Amino acid sequence: MDSSDVSPTLSRRKLLGGVGFGAAVGSAGCLQYARSLTNRDSPEQVSVTIKTVPADDDEAAVQIARRLQKHMTTAGIDASIELVANTELLRDILLNQSFDVYVGQYPPQHDPDFLRPALHSRFVTEQGWQNPFGISDLGLDERLVDQRSTTTDDRQRAVTSATEAVGEIQPFAMACFPKDITVVRTDRFDNWSVDGLDRPINYLAVDRPADAPSEDPTTLRVVLTDDRITKNCNPIAVEYRGPNTLTKLLYDPLARQQGSEIRPWLATDVTWRRTADLGVTATVTLREGLSWHDGQNLTAADVVFTYRFLDDTSLGTGDMPVHSPRFRGRTSLVESVERLDDRTVRFGFGDTVETVAARALTVPMLPSHVWQEKTGETNIAGIDISEGITQALVWANTDPVGSGPLQFESRTPGEQVVFSRFDEHFLVGGGPDRFTIPFERFDVRVAPSDAAAVSLVTDGTVDATGSPVHPKVLDSVADSDSIETYMTDSRSFYHVGFNARREPFGNVRFRQAVARLLDSEYIASTVFEGYATPAATPLAGTAWEPTEFEWDGDDPFVPFAGSDGEIDVSEARDAFREAGYTYDDDGRLRG
Amino acid sequence: MTVPITLLGMVIAVTVVLVSVTTAVVIGWRRFTRLRTDYRSIARNAIPSLALLGGVLAINSVVREVGVEVSWLIGWNITGDIYAIEGNLVPAIQSLAHPWLTTYFSLIYVYGYVFVLVFPLVAYLVLDDMEWFRTAAIAYALNYAIGLCLYLVFIAYGPRNLLPDLTEPLLYTNWPSSQFLVSEVNANTNVFPSLHTSLSVTVIALAYRTRRVYPRWLPIATLVGGSVVISTMYLAIHWGTDVVAGAILGVGCVWLARRIVRR
Repeated sequence: MDSSDVSPTLSRRKLLGGVGFGAAVGSAGCLQYARSLTNRDSPEQVSVTIKTVPADDDEAAVQIARRLQKHMTTAGIDASIELVANTELLRDILLNQSFDVYVGQYPPQHDPDFLRPALHSRFVTEQGWQNPFGISDLGLDERLVDQRSTTTDDRQRAVTSATEAVGEIQPFAMACFPKDITVVRTDRFDNWSVDGLDRPINYLAVDRPADAPSEDPTTLRVVLTDDRITKNCNPIAVEYRGPNTLTKLLYDPLARQQGSEIRPWLATDVTWRRTADLGVTATVTLREGLSWHDGQNLTAADVVFTYRFLDDTSLGTGDMPVHSPRFRGRTSLVESVERLDDRTVRFGFGDTVETVAARALTVPMLPSHVWQEKTGETNIAGIDISEGITQALVWANTDPVGSGPLQFESRTPGEQVVFSRFDEHFLVGGGPDRFTIPFERFDVRVAPSDAAAVSLVTDGTVDATGSPVHPKVLDSVADSDSIETYMTDSRSFYHVGFNARREPFGNVRFRQAVARLLDSEYIASTVFEGYATPAATPLAGTAWEPTEFEWDGDDPFVPFAGSDGEIDVSEARDAFREAGYTYDDDGRLRG
Repeated sequence: MTVPITLLGMVIAVTVVLVSVTTAVVIGWRRFTRLRTDYRSIARNAIPSLALLGGVLAINSVVREVGVEVSWLIGWNITGDIYAIEGNLVPAIQSLAHPWLTTYFSLIYVYGYVFVLVFPLVAYLVLDDMEWFRTAAIAYALNYAIGLCLYLVFIAYGPRNLLPDLTEPLLYTNWPSSQFLVSEVNANTNVFPSLHTSLSVTVIALAYRTRRVYPRWLPIATLVGGSVVISTMYLAIHWGTDVVAGAILGVGCVWLARRIVRR
């Protein structure tokens, strides 16, 4: 074997070990010298793997990863891209923390409080979107708690200070907020673009034009490029749920996020008070006559069960509590929950701002008669494979029972899932509510790519693209009276996430230097063809965004080390030198 | 994913027409009429190897569904390694793109491929000696069987999935519905090796071995099969590395099939 086939340290150690052994016969002093040499690791080239999904799943993410790789290479880092399927990526990031850097979209966020579970150090050991970055910073912790609590008379000031800390710490490098592009047909359904209603609830608000061809049953057809909903309908299976998941149509929350507001949904009334012992409380009254898809009544007991269950899916039967990794940020706000009567529940939130506490009401309600059997530990063929994982987190829930406006009908894994209107739902049949649902069936198909999805809309097979499509497929959208394209501002920002548990990403200065390799302005104008807004903070586009950290052509925290998408080699390398890293004669970054 | 019925119908129709025309040119109708008189003995001789091929294809379609999950469990993700080996070969090939070429290679990738696979089975079926038919059927089966095992072991995405900045998925941008057909046949993690290449090379190798029987088939097979090989890279579906591996697999399968039949 040639010595260049093995890693330099290994060969050097072996070699010196051999030399040392030979020398030991000759002189003890020489042996000591050899030992002190072989016990020192010399710095090696910094090597980074960027994980992201293939272009079929998210072309923009790959393009961002490619630019980052190119700029890292320029900066002397040995960077490579590893493509993994979307469920694998989420497993690697959210469950196993096995990544250096990833590129992707963050779940949609409206209130700054999402930063608390995302970055507070007490969530480092948890799974899901609870601090996957492994950040632990006492100063940041304090500010994150501050913005939640009512002791802060001015929440905006606390949010600004937390935002500033996040910008300096750079747990993830912000890229941009994309526009969600949807291509629809208007001949069978119209009024697609509903402001203020989040996906996928906006499907419920479409109208049936008077001249629409009659059909039985009336079916709304949507095409997705993500097949996860056809394989798994578990609302708390973190790796199967992308942003805007259709499980939102199957499971109702007490209140829904609508635009920047949170409005009662299953609840008819939410009354907020402060009490001495519970702090901020919300007394929630359910609508009358609510039922689950299987005909059982939905009562206050189910509500109480849901919050206890999400907090500990083993319900106290395991050796330790097993939190649901999804909705954990929201359920962690709840300090107490108690049933007052069949339709009334009282929540205690302690020292929490009301607007933040309201977030806790947006988690999906689960029927206790289905989920309480799922508290056991997982096993495969009777063999316990891992402790601390309950069935609730991993079962596929292929025949979901919720209380949402749509109920499960049938599925073909990987190809199609069909839902039908739940006629017992309080929205159905009009009444004082905002909309009636003009279709009886909701048919979801899967296409292999954005281009293929759009082709199904243009040829009349389906009515709409259900997942955002990349701007470049718009060229293939035929000009026709019955085809429309519309844009909405997404709240899911593209970012580069760092794993601070792995060197050198534990070093804040290194993270800042890498973040300076990201040319967000250029990415927004080229990768997204202008259908994106570069952003320096995750609060951009909300009322909470601090004016001093708005995007002004560059990132106020980590300005791009170059201009117009062209990296300035010496500027990029100086950033790493200032962070304490060195370059060898071949221009490789050593660390 | 459901394959658009119209596209499936088109593939079948085009294949029937191409095979019929080629039959007239290459085989000659006189030889072909042997099917009418000797169909019983021909069927008896052909069924075992056809059953083997059918069995492998059936297993293939079942395993392909779960295969992707299995390969994420045990597989080795080599996309980055392949790119490190060959660099920007595919983008270089794509730099020669021209709308006519794109149309030609798109048609070749879908229709030409099916034609080049089906025709030898017909051609060797009407020979007095069934040896070549058995060789072809076994070689096809070996390609699928070995290819399937390699797909389980290796996870690799094609250039269009890793390099959207340098390549254009020409087939799918110009003919989106074809992607329903292709993705039905294979998952996007299975590009190493290229079965389009290995089966085309198999057909070319068999055409070379049978050039005395069907002298006109060799140039046709080489032209169409060779175009299929190039199309996989031109359309940014496969890496050059996949094509090389596919070619080795194709030649190897013919050699192995010959040995099995001879024995």
